[in-house]
Amino acid sequence: MREQIDGKAIETIVETIEVASLLGRVSALRAAGWRIVQILGISTDATIELSYSFGLGHEMRVFRFNAAGEVSVPSITPIFPGAYLYENELRDLFGVQIQCISVDWLGKVYDVAADRPFSRIKVTLPSSEGGRP
Amino acid sequence: MSASIEHAAVVRRAPGPTTIPFGPQHPVLPEPLHFDLVLEDEKVVGVVPQVGYIHRGLELLIDKRDFPDYVHVAERICGICSFMHGMGYCESVEGLFATIVPDRARWLRTFWCELERVQSHLLWLGLAADALGFENLFMATWRARELVVDVAEETAGGRVIFGSAIVGGVSRDPDDETLKRCLAAMRDVRAETLRLADVMIREPTVRHRLDGVGTLSHDDAYILGAVGPMLRASGHDYDVRSRNYAAYGEIEWKSVVETAGDSMARALVRIREIEQSFAILDRVVATMPAGPVSVPVRGMPPKGESWVRLEQPRGEVLYYVRSNGTRQLERFRVRTPTFANIPAMVAAFKGSSLADVPTIALTIDPCISCTER
Repeated sequence: MREQIDGKAIETIVETIEVASLLGRVSALRAAGWRIVQILGISTDATIELSYSFGLGHEMRVFRFNAAGEVSVPSITPIFPGAYLYENELRDLFGVQIQCISVDWLGKVYDVAADRPFSRIKVTLPSSEGGRP
Repeated sequence: MSASIEHAAVVRRAPGPTTIPFGPQHPVLPEPLHFDLVLEDEKVVGVVPQVGYIHRGLELLIDKRDFPDYVHVAERICGICSFMHGMGYCESVEGLFATIVPDRARWLRTFWCELERVQSHLLWLGLAADALGFENLFMATWRARELVVDVAEETAGGRVIFGSAIVGGVSRDPDDETLKRCLAAMRDVRAETLRLADVMIREPTVRHRLDGVGTLSHDDAYILGAVGPMLRASGHDYDVRSRNYAAYGEIEWKSVVETAGDSMARALVRIREIEQSFAILDRVVATMPAGPVSVPVRGMPPKGESWVRLEQPRGEVLYYVRSNGTRQLERFRVRTPTFANIPAMVAAFKGSSLADVPTIALTIDPCISCTER
C-alpha cells in the first residue's frame, strides 16, 4: 500500500516472518526509532494470523506470521513495554499463547461470555490459576 | 505464644505497600475503568490497569453485514467521535476499491471532523472543570458545547451519531449559506470557550493541581506508544492530519505541541486545539468547493486489505479492513487512541500522589467505549 504525502511516497510494508525471528526484528525496529502502533489478530478456519504494526512518522511496517495451535509466541513487552494490552487482547479473544507478558491478566482482560470469541478454531490454553492480578 | 505465631504477628504489623482500588465506578470517570494503585504512604509506586467491563465485540459484526451497512455499526463504536469512526471505516473500504471521493465530500468530512474535535474537547473541558471543583465552569462549557452540537444536527442530521458518512463520500450536503450561518452562530461560542479556558488555566488552584503533576517524559511517551494530545504534550510533533487525508493537505493548519509533559501541558494542547479547530472550520467553509458529495461504490469489494490512520480528538486511530471478495468483509479492526494511551497513562500515575490520580486520569481523556469497541 502506497500513498503520497507532501510529494513523498509513504509505504505500508507488510512482511511475512517466522515466529522465531520476531524478537530480533522488533528489537531492530526499536533501535532504529520505531514505535509500536498495534497488534492485529485475524482468525481463519485453519489458523490465526498475527500482524504487528510499527510506525516511524507516517511510515508503517507490519510483521506477519501464523500462530495457531501449539505455536507459542514470545511477548514483545521487554522491547515495547506498552504492548501488554494488545497481547492480553490476543490471548482473550483469539486464544493465542503468548509467553511472559509483563502485565498478564491470565486470559481475563475482557469480561466476555464466550470463550475465545474471535477465534474460528478451537484452542486449548494451559489452565490459569487465580483470577485477575 | 509460639515463636512462629509471634513472627506472623510482626509480619502483619510491618509497614509496606498498600493496594487501593480506583474505579470502575468513580465520580471522575464517565465510563468503567479500574486501577489497582500500589501506594507507599500517599505516593503511587505501582499501577495495574483493568479494562474489559463493557466489551461489545462490534468488530465481529463485520462478516454479518453488507459492507455499505457496516458504517452504521462503526459510527456506534463511540458517541463522542462517531463521525470519525464512520469516516475511517469508509476511507478504509474506499482504499479497497481505490475510490476517489469528490472534493466537496472531502471538505465536508473535514468540517465534521473538526466540529467533532471541538465538541469532544469541550466535553473534556467541562469534565475537567467539574473534577477540579468548578461546577459553574462545567455548566458554562457544556452550554457552549450544546451550540456546537446544534450545528452538527443542522448540517449532518445527528447530534451524537452524525450519520452522514457513507462509502464513497457523504450523505448530506448542507448548502454554503447554511454553513456560513452556522459559523456565524459559533462565533460567540468560540469567544466564550476561549474566555472560559483562559479563566481555568490562570486559576491558581487549577495550576496547583496540574502543573508538574502526572508528568510523562518525552521518551516514555514515544516508547509506550502514546498518541494524540498525550504524545504532543510531551514534545512530539506528530499529528496524523499531516497525512493529508480529507482536505487537510489543502488547508493551512499546524499541529499543537507542548513540551512539559505534565497534566497542564495536556490541558493546554486540547485548549489550543479548540482554537485551532475553529480556525480550520473557517478555512473549510471559505474554500468549500462546489460539486457532488458522493460517488457510487458498487459491486464486490476486491480481495485485499487496507490500512487507514486518522487523528481523532484523543489521537491516532487505525482502521484495518480485509476483503475476501464478498460483500461481507472478512475482518475489521480499529485500534483506538485510548487503547494505545493506557500504558502511558499508567506511567503518568507512577510517582504522583493518590489525590492527583483522578485529575491525571482526566487529562488523558480516556474513552472506554472506544477501547472496548
